[in-house]
Amino acid sequence: MLQVISAIVVRRLLLAVPTLWLLSLVVFFVLRILPVDPLGMLLPASATPADAAALRQQLGFDKPIPQQFLIWLWAAINGNLGTSLNFRQPVSQLMMAALPATLELSLVGLVLALLISIPGGVLAFVLYQKKREAAADLTVALMQSIPSFLWSLLLIAAFGVLWPVLPFSGRIAPDITLPGLTGFALLDLLLTGQFSGLLSALAHLVLPALALALGFAPLVIRVLRSSLIEAANEPYVEVARLRGLSESRILWRHILKNAALPTITMIGVQFGAALLVEMIFGYPGIGNLMVQAVKGNDLPLIQGIALIFCVLMLAITVIVDVLYAVLNPRMRNL
Amino acid sequence: MTDEFELDPRKRHACALDRRQVLLGTMAAGIGALAPLSGHAEGVDKSTLSIAFPVDVPTWDPNALSIPAIQNLYATVFDSPLRYSPDLKLSPRQITDWKWADDKATRLEMTLRDDVLFHDGSKMTMEDVKFSLSDRAKADKKLVVGGMFNTVADIEVTSPTRGVMQFNRPTPTAPIYLAFLCGYVVPKAYMLQVGPEGFNAKPIGAGPYRMVEHQRGSRIVLEAFDKYWGGVPTIKQVTFEIAPEASARVALVESGRAGFASQLPVREVQRLAQKAGLVTKIYPFSEVYMLRIPNYVPPMDNDHVRAAMHLAIDTQALSKAFYAGVAKPLSVMAPEGTPSNVPDFKFPYDKAKAIAELKQAGYGPDKPVSFTLLSTNGTFPNDYDMARAIAQMWKAVGINVTIEETTSAKLLDAAQNGKLAGPVLYSWANATGDPENYAGRIFDPRLRFSTWKDMSLSGRIDKLMTEVNEQERIAGYKALNVESSEKSWAIPLLQGITAVAYSSALQPTLFDNGYVLPVEMKYR
Repeated sequence: MLQVISAIVVRRLLLAVPTLWLLSLVVFFVLRILPVDPLGMLLPASATPADAAALRQQLGFDKPIPQQFLIWLWAAINGNLGTSLNFRQPVSQLMMAALPATLELSLVGLVLALLISIPGGVLAFVLYQKKREAAADLTVALMQSIPSFLWSLLLIAAFGVLWPVLPFSGRIAPDITLPGLTGFALLDLLLTGQFSGLLSALAHLVLPALALALGFAPLVIRVLRSSLIEAANEPYVEVARLRGLSESRILWRHILKNAALPTITMIGVQFGAALLVEMIFGYPGIGNLMVQAVKGNDLPLIQGIALIFCVLMLAITVIVDVLYAVLNPRMRNL
Repeated sequence: MTDEFELDPRKRHACALDRRQVLLGTMAAGIGALAPLSGHAEGVDKSTLSIAFPVDVPTWDPNALSIPAIQNLYATVFDSPLRYSPDLKLSPRQITDWKWADDKATRLEMTLRDDVLFHDGSKMTMEDVKFSLSDRAKADKKLVVGGMFNTVADIEVTSPTRGVMQFNRPTPTAPIYLAFLCGYVVPKAYMLQVGPEGFNAKPIGAGPYRMVEHQRGSRIVLEAFDKYWGGVPTIKQVTFEIAPEASARVALVESGRAGFASQLPVREVQRLAQKAGLVTKIYPFSEVYMLRIPNYVPPMDNDHVRAAMHLAIDTQALSKAFYAGVAKPLSVMAPEGTPSNVPDFKFPYDKAKAIAELKQAGYGPDKPVSFTLLSTNGTFPNDYDMARAIAQMWKAVGINVTIEETTSAKLLDAAQNGKLAGPVLYSWANATGDPENYAGRIFDPRLRFSTWKDMSLSGRIDKLMTEVNEQERIAGYKALNVESSEKSWAIPLLQGITAVAYSSALQPTLFDNGYVLPVEMKYR
């Protein structure tokens, strides 16, 4: 098993190098040819074109784009992703501060999504070709038509305004300071024994994570239902019935285990959805940082965030492949 | 200039809203109507205040960037040498006295208070002023403060509290920049010790509040500075909740989680006005909504076409439709109450005359004039909707426009490269109210974002920039304002508005330049 996992990881890592290079190249060139002014607010109202040209030269934007790319690439290989134009801080420092919040939110959102979608998918499968199937389909379709950002606003309206029981701004109460050990709020608060802080952080996570989960769950429900229907027709199910196993045991122990595999590949979708949700909830993650970077035309920061997203997606792909290999013996020989 | 909003059914005009706004508005209105009228004023902790705010601070180096929207925060943490009063009068702050030492406006004598302390306990001296406004600008060209004080040659320090700002050319308006973007004083010793990055991580100012926590994109926690020269602020802890999405700001103030929310949609404020425990205000401030015109794009070079465009716009109707009638129609590029406003001059709304002007340009119902109108969507309240309304008004006289949605960054790029596709609906911020920062910048053809490229105006603007006689300076700008409006070099539309909501327990001071300063807020 270890050999298989190692092979998968090595293969993916080898593929990651050209993928990252290509993505960096595309993002870099696209950002440079867009008709936007990266100097934006870096110059005062009294600035002349000559002032702009001087600053452009100082920042290296006057060089040919291929040369700019090579300078950036060399620096990036050496661990320097440049300095943000607006934040005046190293890009890597900004991203490292924001990344744990996004990972934490996405992971909690994923767990909630699975808690909703696995029973939901099973229920939809159980209702297959039954009287209530149409109602179940309609419910899932309705859920699917509401994107995460709209769920965010609905949840804020419901649990923040109408029945104000949950916070909906920030990561923790203003009077509590995050310890900042790893950047993962829940872990840090647990490690430092700040249990009131932990409760506050959890309360702040509920609505944004639920918004992510509700946006993601219908997709999983649909895929899981289809996979369950397909798996239910496999010969091993018939064999299980002949062995006298109960329908419930067959479903939960055999069909679900095999049908769950395609849903694993969808994990990556969750991270992309965090972007708008973070902005609405004032959640200090990568998505929020990206919005600010785009608004400010902060080219080095946009470039850095695109790169980190790519790295994240590649990492998720490796995890998914490994999970596949672990859960599905047939994949181990591929 | 502040008008309390009155719920007048006649003012409830249907606004053209985008899909998301309709959804949010409906949802908020529906759920909000069901919500219990929680007593915002009851049980308020009067030592703390949360402010729902749309923009975060990118850097805590206040000399670095010139973003108008974050000046509230800089002024709160750093204070400022001078400050505009709520009714836009230049007033003493850290600097108590300032006067010209010559009659050419090249030597400005300044006296600093002797009781200004930075948050680390060190005393602010004229060396800090020189370092912040002159030395730093010369050492690092990336700091915008250099552009704001681009005629400063040096600051001569004559004592710890006295100095002379020396200019390399007459700069009669220099004092206004001591109360404007980037003109903040930072502690020299600390900045040199920790460097800009260290300063950004742990800023030290001399303002009424010190920054204790900043979660980027989320929250800024400020604590009252007990040695502030103006006395300890009454509210001990202020939290700026960063909520770029307007509906989130509405929810924060509606739920009582924020005591004050700024830059709210007008329709939401109209709804919140019915809630017990909340006070709402929609008020005009020193921003100007206008159409900027690139004279290098045909047919913008045609005087008659521009006149027709100008005559065909009913600014009163725009104000009623999109700004609850609070945004005041403008005839010149200066709001009412500012020095270069010309109350006697009114540019008419006259459709018949607009049609006649078009006819003179060779256009008519059979041969309509066509061009592109550029507009942002969401940069200022109802911008895109206003562009659509203007397009309809123009269509009624024979001007066909295609509206192209754009962004501020694209506009800057296109303006700088002389590639604007047509006139631009724009919002011009000017926290000073001084005409130099309205007409003086808008019509200077040499600036990188100027659109009206008439090089013959350069000399006229230079003369106004260096005019030391204040009466003549203002008279010159008034004349420029009237001429530019009559000839439609740009089309002034409305004075900008801002809409806020706050707990009825709170007593904020609302500034005519739109500033929201916690130090000027207190609980009843």
